[in-house]
Amino acid sequence: MPELLRPGSIDEAADLIARHGAAASVLAGGTSLMRETYPSDGGYLIGVDRLGLDKVVSHDGGWSVGAAVPLSVLREAVPIAALQAATREIGGPAVQNMATVGGNLFARAPFGDLAPALLALGARLVFATAGGETTQSIEDFYAGWADGAPPRAGLLTRIEIDAPTGASAYMKCARRRYSTPSVVTVAACVEKDGGTVSGARIALSGASAHPFRCAGAERAVIGSGLDEAAVTAAAAAAESAVEPQTDSVASEWYRRRMTGVFVRRVLAALA
Amino acid sequence: MEDKLIRLTVNGRDEAVVIRPLATLQDVLRDTLELTAVKSGCGQGGCGSCSVLVDGELRLSCLTLAERAEGAEVTTLEGLNETNAIVPLQQAFVENYAAQCGYCTAGMVVAAKALLDRNPAPSRDEIVEGLSGNLCRCTGFAPIVRAVQQAAQALSDTGEEAS
Repeated sequence: MPELLRPGSIDEAADLIARHGAAASVLAGGTSLMRETYPSDGGYLIGVDRLGLDKVVSHDGGWSVGAAVPLSVLREAVPIAALQAATREIGGPAVQNMATVGGNLFARAPFGDLAPALLALGARLVFATAGGETTQSIEDFYAGWADGAPPRAGLLTRIEIDAPTGASAYMKCARRRYSTPSVVTVAACVEKDGGTVSGARIALSGASAHPFRCAGAERAVIGSGLDEAAVTAAAAAAESAVEPQTDSVASEWYRRRMTGVFVRRVLAALA
Repeated sequence: MEDKLIRLTVNGRDEAVVIRPLATLQDVLRDTLELTAVKSGCGQGGCGSCSVLVDGELRLSCLTLAERAEGAEVTTLEGLNETNAIVPLQQAFVENYAAQCGYCTAGMVVAAKALLDRNPAPSRDEIVEGLSGNLCRCTGFAPIVRAVQQAAQALSDTGEEAS
């Protein structure tokens, strides 16, 4: 049976994670980990409920979100369209009261539907390690995933979100309306100069081993007026960039087709 | 790893319970305190039949470690009315035939209470979203949604709380 450890400080938690390595699992809201933990397992569960990571701090340039902030609290505290939509698309109300912002970023595909919104917003992740604090972009964090599993980067303590300089949108394709895994999820944040797209971040989850930003789709719309040709090119780029799995939720074919459909719909919402 | 003593408030009563390592709040409520309205459905956070309120917020007791509920105020279906009389929300479930096999009903009522506490006059869509974490395999959900609509209407007529 794994042993529950509940450190009282971030330094202590970072030390425990460094010391126990792969035997340590960080327990935040527990909505994924509790159901994967069996009495026959060994190792350690490092609880993060005593670390003061459950607060959102609003400042001039944006928000600093504690990694253990529940999704329902994020929705109330950070008024960004894509982020608020994402929090409603994960589980039901009870799960949203329990599951944390940080925990969801470590969910395995096809779960983890907060990530595309944070990728589209260009969020940064702050980790406590035994050697001190490190910050990396959320893109770099996902680039470090191997075989669908996250790298061991220390303890995620907070997520830094800048106030968006453009409009954002988020859509999840699923087999039913609520509380269901993703077929594919798409988020985008688009900046415009007049009618022309001057900057774009387009991110996907559910249809690949981990969430990612789709550079091909972004290139297709930057410099365009989000016209039909640009949106079609972006959808095609996203369809060829995903590496969908076939599972009980959807087939590879269906996930790829819906990737194009939902990239189109998200960009149409921002046109 | 040793058993631990934790204290928490359940349905208004202070309780001190001995828990095994990694015991869930559901284990404590059902097995130790014999509050069997808390159902054990999927154990995965997918069905909502174990729903309870922790400090007034809807939670899944099957995914909550008992140790982390120390000091919390927990409310189960049994605690909706301290005199054990049926509350308006439950009466609305009865009148709308919102229970068939009944296994989901306790969780549904608790989830509906959490919704009405937060939003006393929900739209139909808001009721559907508020109950979206609770599965019913008998009714097709329509009678349950009608029951919550009726309860919300009754509460707005009388100005009472959901329970």
